[in-house]
Amino acid sequence: MATDFEFRKQVLDMHMSGVIKYCYQCNRCTDYCPVAEVTDNAYNPRQNILNALLGFKDAIFSAEKIAIWGCTVCDTCDEVCPQNIELTEIFKLLKNHSVASGDAPDFYYLQAKTIFENAKAVPSQPAIERRREQLGLPAVAAPDINELTTLLKNMGIDKKLKGE
Amino acid sequence: MAEFKMFEGCMIGNRIPFIEASCRKVFDKLGIATSQAPFSCCPDPTGFANFDNDGWLAVGARNLALAESEGKDIISLCNGCSNTLKLVNHTLKHDSFKKDKINAELAKIGKEYKGTIDVKHFVSVLKGELEKIKSSTVKPLSGLKVACHPGCHYMRPSEVMETDDPMHPIDLKEIVTACGATVVDYGEEVLCCGSSVSNAYEDHGMAILKKKMDAVKKAGADCLVVNCPACFQQFDGKQRDLSKKFEEEFKIPILYISELIALGMGIPADELGTKFHRTRVSDILEKIG
Ligand code: SF4
Ligand code: SF4
Repeated sequence: MATDFEFRKQVLDMHMSGVIKYCYQCNRCTDYCPVAEVTDNAYNPRQNILNALLGFKDAIFSAEKIAIWGCTVCDTCDEVCPQNIELTEIFKLLKNHSVASGDAPDFYYLQAKTIFENAKAVPSQPAIERRREQLGLPAVAAPDINELTTLLKNMGIDKKLKGE
Repeated sequence: MAEFKMFEGCMIGNRIPFIEASCRKVFDKLGIATSQAPFSCCPDPTGFANFDNDGWLAVGARNLALAESEGKDIISLCNGCSNTLKLVNHTLKHDSFKKDKINAELAKIGKEYKGTIDVKHFVSVLKGELEKIKSSTVKPLSGLKVACHPGCHYMRPSEVMETDDPMHPIDLKEIVTACGATVVDYGEEVLCCGSSVSNAYEDHGMAILKKKMDAVKKAGADCLVVNCPACFQQFDGKQRDLSKKFEEEFKIPILYISELIALGMGIPADELGTKFHRTRVSDILEKIG
């Protein structure tokens, strides 16, 4: 298992105060993780923190997708960690990497594309607009789609999107 | 109370607007004033943030900038939106390096994030109006046994959300009690609904949902009360699939907390659009009478 120092630097950069270094593998994060429980630890936050801290990039990204993407982002691990490590911030970095390599589950590309094209994760539909009217609701204030698309394009998000 | 900018979010605004209807009616009765703004997706803290963190910060900061330009705080009807907007606000307030980077992008579209407004989840606002809720309840819901699910992002991560105890939340329970209903403890109050993991791994989401619904059923609750549209969709929309998958009946009505309050205020169910729920709520309506 080789340490990737550039990757390790990115992990440590996520924590300005460097608390991730104080992980002592107590396993409380995994003990409280609802996904670890229902997957028999196929998803294991403690293991992810260990690999991230050691810079074991290959171990993280060559594993089954669920090893990163099984997280349901309930933020329970963040609360129970005795060292106050914001685990989900580290996991976000891992997921961002996975997206950029084109390896994330389809859902994430689809949602990003919907937001890129509609400025909403759930675009407005005529049937719902009518329902809003029936319920006496005002129309949703329409977002400036052009402006949002421009913002995301400037940041290179369009290059990470996939599919038609 | 000063006027808020209403952030209904994509899911409520464009998929299950009946939830917005009950929120607006309750806000009216309590004197909580709101106005609209052309907000985009918040965006999803469990989806788009994991897609690209900087993109997520920029879109969130742009939404905050829209409210800042009117000098008004945001009221959110959704755990996801309030989580994103609070996290973005918190990150940019504490990380000037990131703030400069995001503002450089916003400048290209003529916007600027300043960090001058607050974001409130509507449950935190209602929690400050318990007396008013009590006095406007004309149909006490006594006898109604209610299980509470505040949802992960109402209170976690606690140092950013600054709402409730992250592992022993009470806000939602206090509102339910103010309506005259009885809170039943079921032991899994802080367990996730399983919505986010379902996006890629449906079976694991279902396993978590099962654990939750088993506990609610065992506790003998008449209904489960929520304050997040993603949780609502998971409990209300997936209940039938859950029953099929595990060959077990649940039939637990799901109510948004605003619906429960509105019913107590005597607002007719028709006006709330409760018929749009996937899991029938007629038993509850009969019980309330
Ligand atoms: S709970 Fe914190 S200290 Fe313990 S193993 Fe997990 S990350 Fe490390
Ligand atoms: S946030 Fe993810 S890793 Fe942490 S407890 Fe929840 S599901 Fe597990």
